[in-house]
Amino acid sequence: MLSLFGVAKAQDDLLDALDTKPTETEKKKEIKYTTATFKGTRIVNMQSPEIPGKGVMQFMFMHRFGAVNDDFFYNFFGLDQASVRISLDYSPTDWLNVGFGRSSVTKAWDGFLKIKMLRQSTGDRNMPISAVLYSTLNYTTLRFNDGLPHNESDRLSYSHQLILARKFGDRFSAEIVPTLVHYNLVQTKAQSNDVLALGFGGRIKITQRLAITGEYMLQMPNNTYFDEATQAEVPFNNALSIGFDIETGGHVFQLHLTNSRGLIDPQWIGRTPGSWANGDIYFGFNISRVFTIVKPKTPEEPAW
Amino acid sequence: MKTYFFSALLIVTVCSTSAQTFITRNAYIKFFGSTPMENIEAVSNQTSSVLDVAKGEVAFQVLLNSFTFEKALMQEHFNENYVESEKYPKCIFRGKIVGAVDYAKPGTYKVTLSGKMNLHGVEKDLDVPATIIVEKDGVKLSSEFKMVPEDYKIAIPGAVRDKIAKEMAVTVKAAYKPA
Repeated sequence: MLSLFGVAKAQDDLLDALDTKPTETEKKKEIKYTTATFKGTRIVNMQSPEIPGKGVMQFMFMHRFGAVNDDFFYNFFGLDQASVRISLDYSPTDWLNVGFGRSSVTKAWDGFLKIKMLRQSTGDRNMPISAVLYSTLNYTTLRFNDGLPHNESDRLSYSHQLILARKFGDRFSAEIVPTLVHYNLVQTKAQSNDVLALGFGGRIKITQRLAITGEYMLQMPNNTYFDEATQAEVPFNNALSIGFDIETGGHVFQLHLTNSRGLIDPQWIGRTPGSWANGDIYFGFNISRVFTIVKPKTPEEPAW
Repeated sequence: MKTYFFSALLIVTVCSTSAQTFITRNAYIKFFGSTPMENIEAVSNQTSSVLDVAKGEVAFQVLLNSFTFEKALMQEHFNENYVESEKYPKCIFRGKIVGAVDYAKPGTYKVTLSGKMNLHGVEKDLDVPATIIVEKDGVKLSSEFKMVPEDYKIAIPGAVRDKIAKEMAVTVKAAYKPA
């Protein structure tokens, strides 16, 4: 009688029959990776932990209008001094993204590498954060006009970042980004070639396709520029940006306000003279569009 | 002598399978929607299903994040924006097999699966045609039907309305083994 009852109860839900013998392959699938910590591969200027999927190429167009305090209407709402960067990147694997870009500020070419090291996950492997390594090599093609002899290496600068990100539930994601920038050439002896910084970024989803984003890059205070007017070393400002992410099908549209005009990493991280308080605010947008180059393998339909 | 032995064995096997539960953990499900702008196709071969011969019932369960799309971004949007697989990880169908099937006799049987589908937190009645193929060592089930994402409160915004078909064509193919 008891055993009969037991059987009847077990048979209540047909799917219970599946719980009896989970196979080895099923056990492995219990790792649940967190996806879409951020919508775009960048928050505003700062990298997010995201890369396009395997076999996907991304085209990105970044645009910053002139500052709102810089003769805004005379300069046709800042359009006359727009700063732009175009880039292409590609992910040959799930964990690697490589790309290059060209930006108008300092007429710079940049090449970059983004490597996913850890993926946030739950289940059989509990990983609280995602960790992504990001490195850039930047080459300015600006003509030197100081009359001094220069080596080709003077044109180079580098940035290295470790992006530590976490998605806290559905709506909120945040990241902390230890950063090192190296400039082969600086203005004066007093200035350091290396700049250490710590980036903070986040996003809050308002709806499924709309999010508010923000980022801040805190630098060591010894990063200075030589101010001609006061004949003194003046610290650069920290870049602060806020924005909106709007997602429509195949692309992400990002609108933002920032005090940084530069678009390559060594420029916006360590070469931001503008300040929000003085109205050095640049309105800008990023548009990205993805193209599937290599289609992922989908399971074959059974032949019968 | 040998023939007798094997036919006896066969009868025993068939008898035992006829009163049994059949299981698969890698049934195939595809959904396909086509518009002039874009085709959407997603496939999973990680669907679990149980077929209870005695009760004439069948159940399917698929993890929504096991669907593979041709475009990685589509897959992300499917999980993030449409089915919200974080909140509602599974799609489940439970139903009766309506129509006569002789599980002791190999052959092809046309039936109707009549039951409830649970997707995106919404449960809806679903009646779909299906074919059951009884074989010596197992049972196969296939079905093709249409479903409307909006029936399951899967919102499709105006901006992409032209790219996502109103109706998705679903194909299911499950090859069961005795549990």
